[in-house]
Amino acid sequence: MKCFQAQKRFSAFQDAELKPQEQERVSKHLESCSACRERYAEMEKVWQALGDFKEIIPQPGFYGQLVKKVNESYETRSPVGFQWLFQFFSSPGVALTLLLAGILIGTFLGNILVKSDSFPLQQNRIAHSQAANEVFSLRAFDPIPPGTLGDKYLRLASYSEEGRR
Amino acid sequence: MIDPLISDEELMAETAQGDEHAFELLVERHQSRMLNLIYRFVGNRTQARDLAQEVFIRVWQAASRYKPRAKFTTWIYRISANLCLNELKSSARKKLFFSESLVGEGRTPNEENNVSPSAEDILLAEERSRQISHALRSLPENQRMALILKRYDNLSYHEIAKIMECSVSAVESLLVRAKGNLKEKLVFHEK
Repeated sequence: MKCFQAQKRFSAFQDAELKPQEQERVSKHLESCSACRERYAEMEKVWQALGDFKEIIPQPGFYGQLVKKVNESYETRSPVGFQWLFQFFSSPGVALTLLLAGILIGTFLGNILVKSDSFPLQQNRIAHSQAANEVFSLRAFDPIPPGTLGDKYLRLASYSEEGRR
Repeated sequence: MIDPLISDEELMAETAQGDEHAFELLVERHQSRMLNLIYRFVGNRTQARDLAQEVFIRVWQAASRYKPRAKFTTWIYRISANLCLNELKSSARKKLFFSESLVGEGRTPNEENNVSPSAEDILLAEERSRQISHALRSLPENQRMALILKRYDNLSYHEIAKIMECSVSAVESLLVRAKGNLKEKLVFHEK
């Protein structure tokens, strides 16, 4: 094994993650190569130095605080009865399914309305003619009875028209 | 009374039924490991305590949905790792910088065992610990997480890969780079 090959495997060798044969090869190389031995010793030194990072011990009230936080998390959440509903609709799969279903239903209903267009047109025509009959049946278009205010106004208007001519 | 030899997976099943004693036992078993993992990652005791509690809140909330496909420890480590990485991102957004005060929330084992080393020893140990914490926090997040899981939790590359959701060769590569970077940082601190 050459130096660069051994050095590439130093990290895995240190962590005992190499296959037994390879572990043995790196070990033998280290025995025979002082430069690599020195380099590996530096790596080991750093690894050992990391052990000086002191661990901490949880405070006795850790669990009590945790229970308090769990209870608070329930209080700030939605009412219990509807939690399943929010969870159900917050799922991306359900939201996508609902969206697709909405599009399909919309398309289906739209097609039905377009297909049944001829029937409403006939109905519209009937409705229009009924409206026209109602308009023409109004007495507004009857001749104005003589002597009424309307008759006088029309006479006055026609007189002023003739006067202009 | 719960059998203390009961497995974590069985305790989770009990927790899912609303058994608070089972949950308490789970917390007792894993709180120290999770607290220290997070502490080493974020470098702040108060923040580590809050995040460790958040891990267990998530365990409690997910108990009914938990399916023991993987080892419970792998699952809880994954929750912690994700929380750490997310916390770091949100802290960066809030422009918060971690600073560790010597008067912390947790206690070191020496304080716990009432061993009374000299004041100078305590200061030196605190200083060494602070330097290592600083060097660790200077590593990129993924390298730091892989290194902490290997060095302090003694997990295999395979387990680390499962927790970090990457390949074994990626873990190996992260550790090679982390060790190389750390060597430079710690040499810098010795100067």
